[in-house]
Amino acid sequence: MNGTLYKKEWKSNGVLLIIFIAVLTMYAAMIVSMFDPELGDSLKQMAASMPEVFAAFGMADVGQTLLEFVTGYLYGILLTAFPAVYIIILSNRLVARYVDNGSMVYLLSGPQKRSQIIRTQLIFQVTSLLVMLLYVIALIIITAQFMFPGELEIPGFLRVNAGLFGLWIMFGGICFLCSSLWNESKTAIGISSAIVIYTLLVQMIAQVGEKFEFLKYATPITLFNAKGLADNTAEAWITCAVMYGVGIVCYIVATQVFQKKNLPI
Amino acid sequence: MKTIEIDHITKDYGWHRGVFDLSFQVEQGEVLGFLGPNGAGKTTTIRQLLGFIKPDSGSVRILGKNCFCQADEIQRTLGYLPGEIAFIDSMSGMEFIRFVANMKRMRDLGRAKELMDQFDLNASGKIKRMSKGMKQKIGIVCAFMQDPDILVLDEPTSGLDPLMQNCFVDLILGEKKRGKTILMSSHIFEEIERTCDRAAIIRDGELVAVDTMEKLCSGRKKRMEITFANASMAEAYAGEFTKAQQMADNPEKVVMKVGRELDEAIKKAGNYTVVDLDIHTQSLEEFFLHFYGGEDK
Repeated sequence: MNGTLYKKEWKSNGVLLIIFIAVLTMYAAMIVSMFDPELGDSLKQMAASMPEVFAAFGMADVGQTLLEFVTGYLYGILLTAFPAVYIIILSNRLVARYVDNGSMVYLLSGPQKRSQIIRTQLIFQVTSLLVMLLYVIALIIITAQFMFPGELEIPGFLRVNAGLFGLWIMFGGICFLCSSLWNESKTAIGISSAIVIYTLLVQMIAQVGEKFEFLKYATPITLFNAKGLADNTAEAWITCAVMYGVGIVCYIVATQVFQKKNLPI
Repeated sequence: MKTIEIDHITKDYGWHRGVFDLSFQVEQGEVLGFLGPNGAGKTTTIRQLLGFIKPDSGSVRILGKNCFCQADEIQRTLGYLPGEIAFIDSMSGMEFIRFVANMKRMRDLGRAKELMDQFDLNASGKIKRMSKGMKQKIGIVCAFMQDPDILVLDEPTSGLDPLMQNCFVDLILGEKKRGKTILMSSHIFEEIERTCDRAAIIRDGELVAVDTMEKLCSGRKKRMEITFANASMAEAYAGEFTKAQQMADNPEKVVMKVGRELDEAIKKAGNYTVVDLDIHTQSLEEFFLHFYGGEDK
């Protein structure tokens, strides 16, 4: 890993991370605060009035406990779609953009191997996602404990987050691989967003009703089984491991591709 | 072992673009000019030297090391100025220079400061707002500040004003005195003439010529115009040389291109009455252009 480059990436991408974290803070705090353990809560009434819309966002049959509530309303779409956008933008910035505009020359101007440079970019992406995750976990736990002390089942909540991180790593690996494969920013962003948007859209359609339920087998987001992780089922852990596996394989392929490819710089 | 060895490399991009079976060497302490028209394959060759692209066949070595696999080791002693410079726009010039210095693991910026003074560069502004010339200066500082033994420069003076071009020539001459090995592509013939020991010329991806500047320039043609006392003398004289031409609108005048046969041409003219003589030496620019365009003017 290259310390200079790692620091530089924090400096250039810190603001991007802060913006996404700020948006997530707003939504997460709002949703947690809407939980009402006693009365039939307002969100539920809204859900009853337009069930398809709520279902599409993964917010159907949200349960009674705070954990079920949070995973239902937040982990269905907000914490997958927003970070996915962050991942697409960041992946492009870390590799393809340098190659596209030619400044990769200067990243490779020192006595470092290409493998060191690409690994630094990879480590930066993973650590910045980890920062986002830890922040989200802390934010939700603190908000929950502050507003509804003792209501949130913390071990279950942490298990769900382990799965969420797996999903991010999977997206991260795919987008990072796109960024390493293509020399033009436009192409890299285009293809990685196409993949991510497809994944999210199919997931939304699959959740709407029985008719399209089979579509869940056509999107990798199904691998993230929040309910299963909360209940600690073996099946949920296996699919979670698959997400990490896909992500790691993509990251490894990306570093190999970058080391061997011809750079038009 | 030569410092830079390009050994029968081919990199084919299709449609006859790329480089084909190209070979030449740069020796330790030598400045080699790398010339050719746009699209001839200069940058393709340079990218292979830097290890950014792999040749389809053949090998590129610097100090005996493979340019692709051992690029990191080569970079320790190499300074590079890209033909199309791109920096990190969000940084200021100085931030960028510091960043590159850190990437190169340099301990101090002493040499960079000297170069900035020499080129009258104030790098405190944002790179995004800089002119082409200023960016070029930053590129020059980044290439030379490490005080590398080998320099690869792709059109180093593009965007610089004539004063700065002179300044750059002085810099190259200084580095040459200090024993640096330099490969430099350029379109500015004067710059090549003043700095280079040898030149390699390529066209359509193939090597046209590689030789010392003196040898290359000795092929420079002279255009001789002789006016004789009358048309019949001119005709007789023109008959003695295949390259000589009697001018149609001015029958006393003979025009011919002379190279090594200058002596013979002068002596033979002495047999006739010469009224006027004009000799025009082909300029270096015209000379190189004949390599570029391919036709012998």
